[in-house]
Amino acid sequence: MVMGKFLAEPDADEPARPTELAPEEVSLLMDGELDVDRVDRACRGLRETASVETWVCYHVIGDTLRGGCGLAPGFAARFAERLAAEPTVLAPPRMRPAPAAVAWALAASVAAVGVVGWVALTTMPVPPGAIATAQQAAAVRPADVRRPVVNEYLLAHQEYSPTTAIQGVRPYLRAVATDTPDAPE
Amino acid sequence: MHRSNRVAAAASSRLARLGACAGFGIGALLWLPAAHADDAAGWLQQAAVAARQLNYAGTLVYQHDGRVETSRVVHMVDAHGEHEKLVNLDGPAREVIRDNDQVRCYYPDAKIIRIEPRTYRNAFPSLLPQQLDTLAGYYFFRKAEVARVAGLETQAYVFEPKDGMRYGHKLWADLASGLLLKAQLLNDRNLPIEQFVFTDIQIGIRIERETVRPTYRPPPTDWETRESLPGDVVQQDTGWLVKELPPGFSKIVEGYRTLRGKVAPVAHLVFSDGLVAVSVFVEPMPQAPQPIGLSQQGGINVYSRQLNEHLVTVLGETPGATVRQIAFSVAHR
Repeated sequence: MVMGKFLAEPDADEPARPTELAPEEVSLLMDGELDVDRVDRACRGLRETASVETWVCYHVIGDTLRGGCGLAPGFAARFAERLAAEPTVLAPPRMRPAPAAVAWALAASVAAVGVVGWVALTTMPVPPGAIATAQQAAAVRPADVRRPVVNEYLLAHQEYSPTTAIQGVRPYLRAVATDTPDAPE
Repeated sequence: MHRSNRVAAAASSRLARLGACAGFGIGALLWLPAAHADDAAGWLQQAAVAARQLNYAGTLVYQHDGRVETSRVVHMVDAHGEHEKLVNLDGPAREVIRDNDQVRCYYPDAKIIRIEPRTYRNAFPSLLPQQLDTLAGYYFFRKAEVARVAGLETQAYVFEPKDGMRYGHKLWADLASGLLLKAQLLNDRNLPIEQFVFTDIQIGIRIERETVRPTYRPPPTDWETRESLPGDVVQQDTGWLVKELPPGFSKIVEGYRTLRGKVAPVAHLVFSDGLVAVSVFVEPMPQAPQPIGLSQQGGINVYSRQLNEHLVTVLGETPGATVRQIAFSVAHR
């Protein structure tokens, strides 16, 4: 989702050559904490320098923390290659999704995993070689990667949402179905 | 805000009275608006009324993020109003009990009961007239196919967003009763990201009051009850505002509330486009490290960021870009 957004963004009219991003910048960008005026330059940096490796590495760490890391090395490159070779799909598939649709669905779910991973990344410094540590952490307390606080906010939000009015108590399933019930004290 | 509060309060008391007479089966007749099913707001209102006034019991499947969770839902109306019980059938036997405005969540695995005080869901129908333009301005509303859901004939309706700031919604309503039997949130590629669907349901049946009482009654003595204080939500101007609100959203509630686990009151602002809502929470930055950035569960996206000495958390049934934009435009007057 996020990477797709960057690809879709028009090139900024910046004459300056893109420079390698500092790891802190990549981290800030992933968290959405990068200053707005630096975002365009950072995105160009990701597209045109090797910084994207840092970006991928951070996401792999996030995925690993969540216990969902199953991609072979070089997946991103091969994926991008195959995606580029696919014809553009102009209409949503009806009966059987075309390969491109499957790829997009995969990309979307991968992006979603990445999104969850960011949360973990923000609370700790992440050296690129941290995957083994991350795996250990994931084995011990995988639930920590999800956000336990969300429940409090979600319950407070739910009562005002029109979806609750339309569907009754059903949306409360979101609050009891996942996450730990316990907010940190 | 003040006007809508009054409207909300008026609607609540009206619905409380209506709930009392619904047992005689005339509430729905009194309350049903002269709306056409082609009119998005009128149709939503009918669905909301059906959900509130009918007796029904069924098995509900909730799918999100590659997970499938099944639960049992029972809803009944008697002379005292509305009662609803939802029990998780997978994993820990958590349950949600609603008696009119009060919602209680039971977490037996954690030995916790959470009691949400008065809810504002009843305010919804009265807010609709204000939101009419919004719905038409930001969603294409259309009737879709007739389809079978849970063995019943349903009519599907689609709310297709006109911009990227909201998800698509596809809703299937029972042709006979108007009750929603299936609801999907769709992303910009028209793929479902979250789905609630009844796999079987009985509508209009007789349901005993006992069926919708909590399983854990009284709760074991070692359980912790977390109850918000009465008057928990104090409606007032918080001084916080959203400078760049996505188009179509308008503020429906603003005030302070206490959240468990939080020392200081939390400012809570709610914005709605008539179909979904986004909540903005602002609180003093907690001592403990906080998760910052975007997270997501099914159709819910959450964005947290630090703003000087405050923690801003934005949550809603919208795409991540929407909660992010709101989070970054929160400011103090």
